[in-house]
Amino acid sequence: MHGGTEVVPLLRDGILEGDTLVDVRGIVPRGVDGARVGAGTTLAELAASEDVPEALREACRLAASPQLRTMSSVGGNLLQSTRCWYWRLKYPCRLHGGDVCHAREGEHREHAIFANDFCASAHPSDVAAALLALGARLRTNRRELPLEELYRLPDEGDRTTTALAPGELILELELPPADASVYLKAMDRQRWAFPQVGVAVARSGGEVRIALAGVAPVPWLLDGPGGLDSATPLPRTAWKVEVARALVRRALERVA
Amino acid sequence: MARLIRTEKEVEGRFEEIWLVIEEDPLQQWPAGPRDVVGRPATRQDGPQRVRGEAAYTSDLQLPGMLHTAILRSPFAHARVNRIDFAAALALPGVRGALGPGEATGLDEEAGYVGAPVAAVAADTFAQARAALDAIAVDWEELEAVLDPHEAVAREIFTAPPTRYERGDFERALAEADVVVEGTYRTSVVLHNSMETHQAVCEWVGDTLNVYISTQYIWGIRAEIAEALEMPADKVRVVCEFMGGGFGAKNGAGEYTFAAAELARRTGRPVRCALTRREENAAAGNRNATIQKLTVGARSDGTIVAFGGEFVNAVGWSGWSTMTEGPMKMLYACDNVRTVRYGAKINTPPMKAFRAPGFVEGTFGLECLVDELAAKLELDPLELRRLNYAESNDGTPYSSKGLAACYDLAQKHWDRRDEVRARSGSTWKHGVGMASQIWFGGGGPPSYAWTRVGSDGRVAVVTAMQDIGTGTRTVMAQICAEELGVPLDRVEVVLGDSARGPYATLSAGSSTVPSVGPAVRAAAADAKRQIVEIAAQRYDLEERVLDIRGGVIVSADGNLSVPLEELLGVLGDAQILGKGARGPNPTGMSVNTFGVQVAEVAVDIETGEVRVVRVAAVHDVGRIINPLGARSQVEGGIIQGVGHSLSEQRLLDPKTGRVLTTTLESYRMPTIADVPEIVCEFVDLPDEHLTSLGSKGLGEPPIVPTAAAIANAIRDATGADVHELPITREEMLRALREAEQRANAGAKETVAAR
Repeated sequence: MHGGTEVVPLLRDGILEGDTLVDVRGIVPRGVDGARVGAGTTLAELAASEDVPEALREACRLAASPQLRTMSSVGGNLLQSTRCWYWRLKYPCRLHGGDVCHAREGEHREHAIFANDFCASAHPSDVAAALLALGARLRTNRRELPLEELYRLPDEGDRTTTALAPGELILELELPPADASVYLKAMDRQRWAFPQVGVAVARSGGEVRIALAGVAPVPWLLDGPGGLDSATPLPRTAWKVEVARALVRRALERVA
Repeated sequence: MARLIRTEKEVEGRFEEIWLVIEEDPLQQWPAGPRDVVGRPATRQDGPQRVRGEAAYTSDLQLPGMLHTAILRSPFAHARVNRIDFAAALALPGVRGALGPGEATGLDEEAGYVGAPVAAVAADTFAQARAALDAIAVDWEELEAVLDPHEAVAREIFTAPPTRYERGDFERALAEADVVVEGTYRTSVVLHNSMETHQAVCEWVGDTLNVYISTQYIWGIRAEIAEALEMPADKVRVVCEFMGGGFGAKNGAGEYTFAAAELARRTGRPVRCALTRREENAAAGNRNATIQKLTVGARSDGTIVAFGGEFVNAVGWSGWSTMTEGPMKMLYACDNVRTVRYGAKINTPPMKAFRAPGFVEGTFGLECLVDELAAKLELDPLELRRLNYAESNDGTPYSSKGLAACYDLAQKHWDRRDEVRARSGSTWKHGVGMASQIWFGGGGPPSYAWTRVGSDGRVAVVTAMQDIGTGTRTVMAQICAEELGVPLDRVEVVLGDSARGPYATLSAGSSTVPSVGPAVRAAAADAKRQIVEIAAQRYDLEERVLDIRGGVIVSADGNLSVPLEELLGVLGDAQILGKGARGPNPTGMSVNTFGVQVAEVAVDIETGEVRVVRVAAVHDVGRIINPLGARSQVEGGIIQGVGHSLSEQRLLDPKTGRVLTTTLESYRMPTIADVPEIVCEFVDLPDEHLTSLGSKGLGEPPIVPTAAAIANAIRDATGADVHELPITREEMLRALREAEQRANAGAKETVAAR
């Protein structure tokens, strides 16, 4: 546990159980050093840092609340769980090892528009989308990997959405330079809400990467703006496709 | 001389006839305008205490040996408890007692919704009590659950028989109308989310029960507990000095009160029962959803000739079916009105009164409908309202009606339309919308107050009322100070304890100022009369030339000027005691409050985002006692209205009936960043027929028109008709698409996108 903003509520709700909590604040690097960002750096620190690309700064600034940004680490933020109410209320859904996605049949208006067949949950991290668009790499205590390899879609054999091994800890992020980047967020109040749709775009030379928050069980790399044409919205998430189109278009205009 | 009369009392739009003992209330109203204290802004008397954390709320109370309660709630939308076994739970560490269905009011064998309370356990700590819940063995029998209000209506499963109303001849008038507009409007379930959850601490001292409770009605709790426990009411002491909000959800006792009382009796220890935030949002009450099918018919000159409506209130398992058709019946002059209202009984958490119950929902539907009529008629919406102004309440005269004055004051805000629309760009469209409202707020008898003036010239107002956060404590101090003629800082208000003070009415239905205020003034006047009598004797002057101003006894010719404490100082331990009572309401008159709100919004037509930029509110509630406190009420009502309009929605799992939005991150209320610019004006003319104050209540009026004003502003900005609250992006995009299709189809569009 680092800032505890994710772990403590999960413990309190009985979703996480354990006998021992390990405080990793002493062993996880913290702070920004050129292109290297310690995984223990807080969102508040990143939002205030001039050395960090615009998309990451904005994603941090628009996330959560001042109190939460002060406590929460960027590493922890990447590993946060979905806000799907069925999952949070411990319905025996697919992510909890069951054989049904309650959201698909039930109340799903805040859920996914991609990869939502098995599980319709939406990934809530603004920061993950920004880092994905920026092409960030992770260094754990075991290996180095591009950020997109941290995430996996849950399936019949494995219900997890992250690929860390037991005992593996994210220590550092490495951010390749970007010529321009932006993060745009749609939420249903001005502050302190998870993304309904979050769009991160980063341009490096002629190459542009687009990543979305709130649209799939994992942060979603979009295959160009046309990628939205292959969205598979549920009856009550079709509106997200429309919002995403507008935000992707605007974000691309901003980095051009 | 005491007189016994029959009179009518209104609370939250519901009327009843009551017996009443009155002393005549001979005080004349003060002329309109700010006085020495009344009508001048006053900061909250208890503000510093609250901010310093010194205010003791029910949730702060720690009594020695106090136990904590956890409530077992039904996981099913409809079920019966066939068998319940506490043996394993009682064996757990710290567990001291348990109650099953029927052992306390509110713990029922038949659970009518997910979250219905069936049992309660008390333990040394809350964690132990909660752990004990898992050890209670329950034999549940699942029963058929109806979750859809339309199904309940079709099957005639109602909380009460349908309410039908008709005046004039609706069918004929509609057939003769030049223009007819119809629409279906929906409002969602919203949750009170007071800062302090429902809770009580019960403690038996001998055969007296002390109930510390977060409540809107100290005396109501006293009566309810006494009746439920079959004990004399004066053996029940109810205390609520500081209270963290209610909005109507805390008008009565609940399982959390009765269970605590019974567990305290059995264990011999004080017992706290406090709902968690999740329980609060799951089961502690709500504003019910409505579906409204509305029709209006008008002549081409804008005269409304017919109003019709079919209203479905999705009441829930229990509660009452609110008067959603009230605005349609009452707001405008229309001879032909026909409404039917259904209270659908469904297996969902019961509704509870929530700030202008029924009228927030009904005003949304009605004012959107009337605005759509204005668009179809190509008439200015404000002019259309003026044209259909009701001079009486269907024949009954109003005690006072300042709605025309509200319209006049709102005109300058309304005139900003062109300037606001001109800010529109390619993606953000700006518009202005308005809505007017009617509500109640006359209060009524009985309520009482005492004034105690000591030989130091300091004053205490004593009344066992509650201040639910509206600032009524400060208002009462102002009224007393004004009548007595002393500076405001000499007056202290003692409230919140049924053992220490006389009866005061429920703080709901915008009742406290118009009910308790006149009693406070009468008590102050009684004390003043005695002081003047004493001064007349002391200084050998006639009473009629004496007055008290600024804490000084003065004579009309200016020769006498004696500080109050100097006169009273001679009395030593003696005190001046005044008493006062609320007199009757005017008979044969309709006592109502009125208002208009003008909202300016910006809509992003590509993403469906709606921002409320500015709300101008003009309200007529008679004389304003504290302009600063009144502003706060309006601001709070508008902010809550913005929440109702844009982001607040309680969601249920359609399969199981379980509430999905129990946390504050899934149930989203406005943050400070969501608050628009708020401009607030009051007509501030006393209602000359209503009590010695001429003041009506302001608690509810400010929330009533906000949603409609926002929806109408959206129409002005984009041409889109939103028919559903909250106006989510999904709903906004749907409405925009529909408006575009209408425009493309060449249908006559009255307000085109700019």
